[in-house]
Parts: sequence; structure tokens; C-alpha cells
Amino acid sequence: MSSAVVKHATCTGCGCACDDIEVHTDGARVTRAVNACTLGETWFRDHPADSGEPAARIDGKPAPLADAIALAAEMLHAADLPLIYDHGYSTCEAQREAVALAETVGGVIDSYTSRCHGPSFVATQLVGKVSCTLGEVKNRADFLLYWGCNPAETHPRHTSRYALHPAGKFTPRGRRDRTMVLVDVEETATAKEADQFFRIREGTDFEALSAMVALVKGQAVDERRVAETGFTVEQLRLLLERMKAARFGVMFFGLGLAATRGGHGNVGAAYRLAMELNAFTKFVALPMRQHGNLVGSDMVLRWTTGYPFGVSLSRGYPRYNPGEFTMADLLARGDIDAALVLGSNAATDFANVPTIEIGPKLTPMQSGAVPRVQIATAATGVSAGGTVCRMDDLPMPLRPTLTSPHPIDEAVLKRILAEVRKKPAWYPMRSEAQIA
Amino acid sequence: MLTLTLKSSLTVPLEAECLSPDVLAPLAHVAVRALPVMLGKRQHRLDDHFTVEGDGSDEIELRGDLSKVKWIGRLMTHGRVAITGNAGMHVGAYMKGGTIEVTGNVTDWLGGEMSGGTIHVRGNAGQQLGSAYRGSASGMSGGTIIVGGSAGIEIGMRMKRGLIAVGGPVRDFAGLQMKGGTIVLMSGAELRTGAWMQRGTIISLKPLKLMPTFATAALYNPSFIGLYAKHLARFGFALPTANGGYRRHLGDSSVPGKGEILVWQPTGIA
Ligand code: SF4
Repeated sequence: MSSAVVKHATCTGCGCACDDIEVHTDGARVTRAVNACTLGETWFRDHPADSGEPAARIDGKPAPLADAIALAAEMLHAADLPLIYDHGYSTCEAQREAVALAETVGGVIDSYTSRCHGPSFVATQLVGKVSCTLGEVKNRADFLLYWGCNPAETHPRHTSRYALHPAGKFTPRGRRDRTMVLVDVEETATAKEADQFFRIREGTDFEALSAMVALVKGQAVDERRVAETGFTVEQLRLLLERMKAARFGVMFFGLGLAATRGGHGNVGAAYRLAMELNAFTKFVALPMRQHGNLVGSDMVLRWTTGYPFGVSLSRGYPRYNPGEFTMADLLARGDIDAALVLGSNAATDFANVPTIEIGPKLTPMQSGAVPRVQIATAATGVSAGGTVCRMDDLPMPLRPTLTSPHPIDEAVLKRILAEVRKKPAWYPMRSEAQIA
Repeated sequence: MLTLTLKSSLTVPLEAECLSPDVLAPLAHVAVRALPVMLGKRQHRLDDHFTVEGDGSDEIELRGDLSKVKWIGRLMTHGRVAITGNAGMHVGAYMKGGTIEVTGNVTDWLGGEMSGGTIHVRGNAGQQLGSAYRGSASGMSGGTIIVGGSAGIEIGMRMKRGLIAVGGPVRDFAGLQMKGGTIVLMSGAELRTGAWMQRGTIISLKPLKLMPTFATAALYNPSFIGLYAKHLARFGFALPTANGGYRRHLGDSSVPGKGEILVWQPTGIA
């Protein structure tokens, strides 16, 4: 096996999608990932060229790929309400095929977004949002407020590459030109980097942020009830003064807001606060998105159907309703009768539904709930190329470094789609007589 | 009188917006049986899933566990739909008039964006009663929703007018971004009641955990409570007007809004 070095490779270990990684390989696996953080390095090393999986399995037994594809097409075509679920590890190109497949089989399409930052989208739809790219953060932001997130552990290079440390056009002295505040329920590793840390009482983010919105608008708040959040009104006022005094302020929020009780309200309150601060200065709020290409999944769904997640195409046109067409709710109610899961090891959730799994790592045989059809594919970013989106919605090209014996997700989805298209359409076709 | 009985229980939900007096009333028995319904992506006939007795009528009775049947009474303007059993999502969505009665439980989006008529559920309801659909500016703009049991989050989200009364406890965000109308909570609510409300009234008979953006004002007995008490007595809800008062809280100051939350306080309790 020949060794190789690929410069400027993109890591999809977290939403930062760092595209300055120098990847060294021995032809079989990644040996070094220069510039990557430990999270990224592990992610690169975890995906060898050949995962050792068979091309496909049907009912747990190795099977030819063509048979698996034919059976997958048959299952989706025969189902009354199939779900296409994207775990967020595929490229935008594959996700586009997934949408086409969902439309062709008359199914529901959803992604892991519904279980993490889905509420952030609902919040955007409730109140709107002011946003920017990480490039702007790097070049302009002199005030950073991290709320309910722990980048030191979940997005290790976020502060060093994009937000806190880099020297930018209007922040030439890097760290010394910026102020960083952290609000969280506990003092995490990120607190070491912050100029100021506030401990907020768990489950009171909505109250604290709404009170801040009221204060920015010069309205009164109830001091006793504010105190229940762990902040005093005076502390909130001082924090707001700092925020207003910034030239360009950014609020980064994580799952501490989005995936806790009332997530859409919490994020909505953060968006409202950022918006209101624009009466005084430039202020934006950005979600800290996670692994792989979940952002890409939202982007693709938005440009194809108009909605970011939880979309039903069962009547031939897109309908959006979180809670009705989202994966966890569909499974809890037992509404679907087949599922295609894009991405690894997601099939345990789908134990009671006939499932097709497509991904670089297949659910192991000993796990009890093995999907009906399993198809192995190349790992996105390591041995499969394409486009992924960074947490600020920017598309980033991938530079695959290894060659996998397995096809890429996009190719498999295309083949399933072609198989389904050979079958009669599920929607009522007008007869010849009706057309005449 | 038209009676429809669900033949067997469903796995995949059935979308049956044809189950409304406006669609059914003018039709003969045979035409009713042939109406299209959607089981997931498949178009079926109504009689594939229901036994149909009688001709089309303004009076419709639905029987069986319809908890997977969606959109019953969608856009109805008159008549009566009586459901003996449970019903699924979106019962009475966009309804303009008439009556829907449910003996069992319903799930989410009951009376979503309705503008008139009455819905009475004896059991529990799900989330977003009378709410605005995602991306829509306003929730219900008229009519009445009565729920005997409990309800979920975001009831009356962005509602403009009309009345929602819930007998059991409700969860978070009751009256989120409310613009008007009235919500009556006979057994109180969990968190964030009235969050970001602009106008409208929320009445609670149990103490509430209020947002810091609400200011506490007078204790009094507003005269309009008597009118609601009379109206709600018909549904078996007793709204007290004596031996205590209603504590008025104003908010949400983050909007800033002029909504009010009235919390019942019996005499002798501070
Ligand atoms: S910060 Fe994220 S994208 Fe960057 S190297 Fe680390 S894991 Fe990869």
C-alpha cells in the first residue's frame, strides 16, 4: 500500500468543518491528521479504507449488493408510509438523492436535526434570526457570548480557529481584542478560556434570556423571579452593558439551549436578544451545530422542499410539521411501516420497523435489532468526496484521502431510486380515458 | 344521521379530511362510501376503513378508536360531528362553525387556526390546541375549545380571539405569543405560561410559576368573569366569582405586551 499526504482536507468531526487538515495515510488508513484536534484525529483514524464489512447483508447474511438494492426498493415501494432518515454523516449530494427518493416513494424525510437543533429552526420560524458566517466572527467580533455549550470538548478548534484567538482584520491582536463570556449550568472546560463565567440554574435559560430582552427594551422585570435563574438583575444589566458596548457581538449557543426543556423557546429568546441588541450595535446569534453534515441535510431539504426537517411527501407535495413528521414522534406512535436510515449504527432506534441501513459501519450482528437490509458504503470525508456544510451554512468541499471498496452513499441511493422508478407509481394515475 | 364505524385499528395514520358535514351532507350513501381517504401515501375509499350507515347528513357520528385518523372536521362550517372514542391529530383544524364532540382523547393541533364553532373533548388533548401552524402568523381567531382532561405544550399559541378551557393540568408555554382571546386553566399549568404574550387573558384557578417578565398588580374580581362562568357552566366547569379574587399579572414585558394572567386566590390565602 502506498502512503500519501493530502493537504487542506476537510474534517467533519464536528460542525466546525476545519478545512486545513493535512492528512497522512499509508493507503489503508489515516496515520496522522496534522492540525486536527483530538476529536478530528480520532474521527479520521476511525474510518479505514476498508471497513471489513461485506458489501451488503440481508436478514443478517452477506448478500450481493444488487439483491440488497432490489429488496430495499421493494420495501420502500410496498410500504404505505416509509421514512427516510438521515443521521447526518452523508454528503449534500447524497442527501439530495435521499430527498428524491423520499418523493418517489411517497415517504416522510427527517434528519438527526429533529433530535438536536430542530428547535432552533422552529425558533427561527417563530421569531427570525440575525446571523453571519464564521469568517465575519473571526474578522470582526470583539465580544463572544457562549451560552449552553462547551466548545472546549465538543468543538475543540472553534475558539482557536474561528472565534476567540485568531487575528482578524478588525481584531488584529486576536485574543487581546476580544472579550468572552460563558453562561452554563456548570463550570466546564470552556470556562478556563472565558473572561467571565456565569452559572445559570438549570432549566431557566428561557426566563433569563427573556428578562434580558425586556431589560434591553427598557422594561421592568420582577427581581425575585429573575433571582430564580441564578442571575441578579444587576448582573444581567452589567452583562447587557458589555454586550451593547461591543462593536460586533456574537452569541454561540449549543444543545444546552436547543435540546433542553422548551428548546425552541430558549433559542427563540436568544435570537430575540441578538435582534434587539441591533438597536445599539451589531449582534448575531449562531447555533453550535454538531458532527458530520447535519447542516448540509437541513440546507438540502430547505432548497428542495422549503423546510429544514420533518417533511412529509406522502401526498406528493412537501408538508412540514415537527412533532408530526419527526422521527422520534413517528416511532413513538408507530406510524411508519418501513425506514431507510442513512448513516451508521442508527438502526437500534428502528427495532420494530423493517429497516434499510446504509453507512460505513453496519449495525453489528450481536446487537439484537439488526436491520432487514444493510449496505456498506465509503466513509464521508475519508474515502468519499462531495460537499458538506459548516455550522454557518457555508458549503465546504471534501478531499477524500483513501479509496474504499464500497460505493458512496450517493451511488447506492441513486441505484435504489432507479429501481423504485421502474415500479408503478404509488399516486393515483389518471387513466387514458380521463386524460382524453 | 350518518354513522361511520372504523373497521379495524390502524398502524399508518389515515388522513380523512372528507369527514366533515360540508363534504358529507350533500352526498348519497354510495357517494359517501366512495370518498377518497389517504392511508399514508395510498389513496383508499372511505368504505375500505369504515362501515357506513345512512346517507350524507349534517349529523355525523364516528365510532371506534380513531386516534390515527387525522383532519376530522377540517374546514367545517356547520353541522355536528360526534366522535365516540378517540381521535387523531388536527381535529377541527381551520373549522369555521358547527360542533365537534369527542368522548375520548385527542392528540395535537386540536382546532388549529379555527375561526368559529365549538369543540368539546371529554378526555385529554395533546399539544398546540388552537395554535398557529408553523410559519403562520395567527392561531385560532374565534370559536371555543373545551377539554375535560389535560393538554400539552403551547396551547393557544399566537391565538387572536376565542376561548380555550382545559379542565386538567396543561404543560409549558400556554398562550405563547398570544395576541388575544382567553385561555382558562382549571388545574393550572407547568412553566412559562403566557410567555411573550402581546394581549389576551389567561385565567388560572391554580397558582402558576410566573415568568420574570410579568408584573404583579391588583387583586380583584373582574365583572367579565361572571360571563365566562355562565358560559363554562354548560360544560361542567365552575369558575368561582365569590369568596376570593383574581390576582392580576401583566406582561410579557419582553414584548412588551399588555396581556394579563389572572390567578384565583381564595379568601384567607395570601
Ligand atoms: S474542531 Fe471539529 S472540524 Fe475541526 S478538527 Fe476538530 S473535530 Fe474536526
